[in-house]
Amino acid sequence: MVEIWGFWRSDNWGGRSWAFTVFLGMMVLHILAILLFTRGFLLTRTELSQYSQCSDVFDSPCSPPYDHNVNNSSGAPGCWTKPSVDRLVIIVFDAIRFDFVAPSTFYPEKKPWMDKLQVIHELASQRPSSARIFKAIADPPTTSLQRLKGLTTGGLPTFIDVGNSFGAPAIVEDNLIHQLVANGKRMVMMGDDTWVQLFPHHFNISYPFPSFNVKDLHTVDDGCVKNLLPTLYKEDWDVLIAHFLGVDHAGHIFGVDSSPMIEKLEQYNGILKNVVEVLESHSGPGDLHENTMLLVMGDHGQTLNGDHGGGSAEEVETSIFALSLKKPPTSALAAFDKSTCQLDMQGRRICLSSIQQLDFTVTVSALLGLPFPFGSIGHVNSELFALAAGTWNLKRLATHDRQSLSELDEWMQNYVNVLCINSWQVKKYIDVYSSLSLIGFSEKDLLHVSELYAQAQELWSLTPESSVLREKESSSTLLPAIKRQIEAYSAFLASVASLARSNWTEFNLKLMGIGFCVMLFSLFLHASSIKRLDNLCGLHSPSSGDSGNSFGMIFAYIAVLIRACSFLSNSYILEEGRVASFLLATTAMLQLRCAIMKKMMLLEALALVFLVPFLRISIELGQLKQAVSSLFLKMDPSRTLGINGDSQFWMSITQFVPILALMIVAYLLYKSTVCCSSHGILKYVIVGSLSNFVLIAIYWACNDNLLNLPMVPRVIMVNLIPRIIYAVGVFQVLILGIVQLLVRETTVNLEGSTIFKVLAMLSAWSSTIIVISGKQGPLAVLALLIGGWCIIRLMRLERNAENEYSGSSLFYALPVTQWSLLAVCMFFSTGHWCAFDGLRYAAAFVGFDEFNLIRQAILLTIDTFGFSHIFPIFGLPFLVACCCPSRQTKQLFSLRLCQVNFLLENFIYNFNGFRAVITDTVMFQVYLMYGLITAVSVTFTILCVTIQRRHLMVWGLFAPKFVFDVVGLVLTDIMICLSSLYYMV
Amino acid sequence: MEKEKRQRNLNSSETKIDMVLFIPPAKVFVLHLICGLGLASAFWAAQNFYSINLVSNPAETLHLIWIVEASVVILLYSLFRHNPDKCSYFKAVGRALVGLPAGAIVNALGAIVLGAPIGLQHFRKTVHWSLLMSVLTFVPAASVFGSSWTDWHRIFAQTKSIGAVDYMICFPAHGAAIGAWFGAWPMPLDWERPWQEWPICVTYGAIVGYLSGMMTSFGFIAFKNWRRRVKGD
Repeated sequence: MVEIWGFWRSDNWGGRSWAFTVFLGMMVLHILAILLFTRGFLLTRTELSQYSQCSDVFDSPCSPPYDHNVNNSSGAPGCWTKPSVDRLVIIVFDAIRFDFVAPSTFYPEKKPWMDKLQVIHELASQRPSSARIFKAIADPPTTSLQRLKGLTTGGLPTFIDVGNSFGAPAIVEDNLIHQLVANGKRMVMMGDDTWVQLFPHHFNISYPFPSFNVKDLHTVDDGCVKNLLPTLYKEDWDVLIAHFLGVDHAGHIFGVDSSPMIEKLEQYNGILKNVVEVLESHSGPGDLHENTMLLVMGDHGQTLNGDHGGGSAEEVETSIFALSLKKPPTSALAAFDKSTCQLDMQGRRICLSSIQQLDFTVTVSALLGLPFPFGSIGHVNSELFALAAGTWNLKRLATHDRQSLSELDEWMQNYVNVLCINSWQVKKYIDVYSSLSLIGFSEKDLLHVSELYAQAQELWSLTPESSVLREKESSSTLLPAIKRQIEAYSAFLASVASLARSNWTEFNLKLMGIGFCVMLFSLFLHASSIKRLDNLCGLHSPSSGDSGNSFGMIFAYIAVLIRACSFLSNSYILEEGRVASFLLATTAMLQLRCAIMKKMMLLEALALVFLVPFLRISIELGQLKQAVSSLFLKMDPSRTLGINGDSQFWMSITQFVPILALMIVAYLLYKSTVCCSSHGILKYVIVGSLSNFVLIAIYWACNDNLLNLPMVPRVIMVNLIPRIIYAVGVFQVLILGIVQLLVRETTVNLEGSTIFKVLAMLSAWSSTIIVISGKQGPLAVLALLIGGWCIIRLMRLERNAENEYSGSSLFYALPVTQWSLLAVCMFFSTGHWCAFDGLRYAAAFVGFDEFNLIRQAILLTIDTFGFSHIFPIFGLPFLVACCCPSRQTKQLFSLRLCQVNFLLENFIYNFNGFRAVITDTVMFQVYLMYGLITAVSVTFTILCVTIQRRHLMVWGLFAPKFVFDVVGLVLTDIMICLSSLYYMV
Repeated sequence: MEKEKRQRNLNSSETKIDMVLFIPPAKVFVLHLICGLGLASAFWAAQNFYSINLVSNPAETLHLIWIVEASVVILLYSLFRHNPDKCSYFKAVGRALVGLPAGAIVNALGAIVLGAPIGLQHFRKTVHWSLLMSVLTFVPAASVFGSSWTDWHRIFAQTKSIGAVDYMICFPAHGAAIGAWFGAWPMPLDWERPWQEWPICVTYGAIVGYLSGMMTSFGFIAFKNWRRRVKGD
């Protein structure tokens, strides 16, 4: 540590190894910060692919689920538990707040949206033992998709469920719907089409309706209404799911306190009334709905503005209303009644209970007699379970005449048994999870949970269970034992749930904070090393307070800050590309003004100014369709100018413009080789790229069927050419690296050689990137070339203004900022955006048909970050090399030589060596600045994600943005390290 | 007509430098006040006579505003033209009328570079907005300086103002441009307010910038005047 500090303090700055060390240190710091932060923020959970089987239950220590000789009412065999419900009608109202359902007397004040669902109040007051309103408490994230996943798997879905395929949202974990299908239940679904996406092959009959249009309040609901009542009369289903979206959409558009919302609620009241009427009319003995249960539930709540996604009470509190059509003769419910009762406006007594949404799956499974989903960590809710108690007790009464045990005792016995199975299943899941998952639970927590389970099991073995039950045991001794047992199991299940919650739904703020602080520290180091280098290398001019210079610099700071602060709002993140182009345009216009003032470089300034709108249009096109390749040409002219895109003329234009652009790029490359003096092997590298360009043109011609080579099949050509290009590209980069390692020559023309090295490196990458990114590739390269050239030329504007080389390298701040803004613009204008659906998966399969994770991931990375990271970073030395006119600087540097008294003697054998050091130092600084700009924006992204961690869009928008930024930062660091090795002498 | 002639005689009696450098602050105040009132009356007329406003009918309202403001600005600023001996009042008005569309083109290009939407449905709004911007930025300079490149260069590229007229042109014009730049900021936000549409909030920003530019200009001139008097004493 001391050594490093000494190194830091020493004046020995500038060498290649030094630069590399510093960049490597930065990278390590960044990675450390990101890892810490990500560990706290991106909650991950591994999805297990195990499924519960019916026969699993015999492994459990619990008594057999039920008497096999006693038939339940329907005659269908139960599996893990005794089924008490035959048919289930689940009506999901999306985003139902608890106060939509609960009577207004439970609240201090009656709001307009309360007491609209009168049917529920009526039923709850008339049948207190078979109908009950529950307050259902959901777990964040309270977005529909995650909630549906949670409701069906009984787990706690997180942002990254490892094992989940990004493309298809279908649930691969064990879940309720899977168990229903596996156990021969027939299902009908209607409403929100998310269900069909999640469970593509599970429903016998489905009536999905599109859910994406938030402004459409009625399509989904009307579709449900049309299909719901007729289906209720049919016999061909066992479980019916109807998902209404109107309230969610009304909330998003109008808010809760609005007339459309109240109309929706009144409509739902009518629907429920009809449903209950139909069900009741068929609920006689032997009738269709004799043993049916109706569940009316919300998946999550919403705030008064209609937002949801976070963890505030309004968002997580939703409701479940359960109605069992068979009246339980027992007062089983009374045993565990934890409800609060109150009179409503009409003086009816209504009771409310509470349930965790986590417990929904397992309770429903228990009611239907299904195996509990493997990953469920819920707890069979006593009150909801008791609502259906009537169904099998009735049979029991018929067979057992002797009233040795009260119905209550018997019910309790059954419930204990269910809990036993429940605990056994949860314990099994926890054990399997912690043995299979990468990031499991902590040892201490696991031990605690195991202890609780062991205690409960011990109690179970002590309890005089069912064998004794058959004997005439007085209930007075049995009941307390059962109650103890239930408490023990409940304690175990509660501790598992809280452990899971702390792991999967709560951010670790401490880790996030530490990560953020490390990031801040790295920023500080970054900035101070720039400053230090600036002072050390003696380039600082005494008259540094030059107004022209500092204006550009200040504006660069402002631009970076504006961009960074824009990440604090979701809207600006969505429009990030346009924000960047706005800032780039502003800098360009300021430079144009400056150019007019000095009457020079007008052409370059104008070119930059007019390049920006083109970038912006392609950014907008990318936003418009948010999809794949060659939008550049196919949509732009036809859309904006109203030209028929199918016409022959435009078709040929879209085919030839990219090839034309490719030819221009190739010509420029060729030109630059010719005008520079020969550089041996580097020249061959560039020639290799030129031949690659020819191959690309042939490849496109093959793809478009313009060119038909009779002897070679098209498929081979299409796959072979890209592979050749990749191979040549890899070979070129390797050669460049080896040459750099082996040959250490100090040429006379240092700037020239640097330029040539940059050129060779870029050309080595260009063919690969172009072929991957498709036809927009050459156009983007051209745009990047023009932009870069303008930025470099415009630097002279400021320099000449001072008539003297005021060497403060902070003068590079504006060009470097522009460079990075241009890079950001390129990212968006090549049709990418910061979301996982913004990845161009098609690009990963250029040249390959079959999938190989590593290979395709590399190709995808090159496509995603090629234009925004690889080109700009490897091209950055142009800024340094092109802008110093060598004659002038030579004199200036020689003048400064006497002022400079740092320990360069070791390096300086001759004048050239010294100049190399100076150029390197400037390059070092430019790279530091570029890294700093990237790091600042990432820091603000991190800050934003921390602030907005309970925001509605956190998983949809902020988290993907965070992932992209972080990957971009690490890539930037890696590439800066590589280029410091490659470029610095 | 008669009055105007007298005015011209009066001006020509003073030296050019005096004319350029010293304008009584009261006069500046009146000029800026009339310009501001012009804007206000245009808004008022739109609201009360045509019952349109910027949010509901942006193109029509902008049309009305720029016509009212252009007539006010051209008539007023032409009084302060350079070289009043050689250049008649009508000539100043004429060159301001030529400067109006030219400035509109520059403003429209600038807006498009910075991100104004392109497309036929926005075309009318962009045209009227850029004409208004031209009235606020270019037209005063056109009527005062005509085609004198050095003056334009001094005002807009170097931002070096000498004399009261320069301040009167330079501050409001820069204010309007900077205000419009800031006015674009709320556009991407998801508040779903009607005024976030192009070019409504940009227009508001420009007008606010213009008004504050006029206030700054008046303050500056009053300050300089006060300094001069102190020195004179």
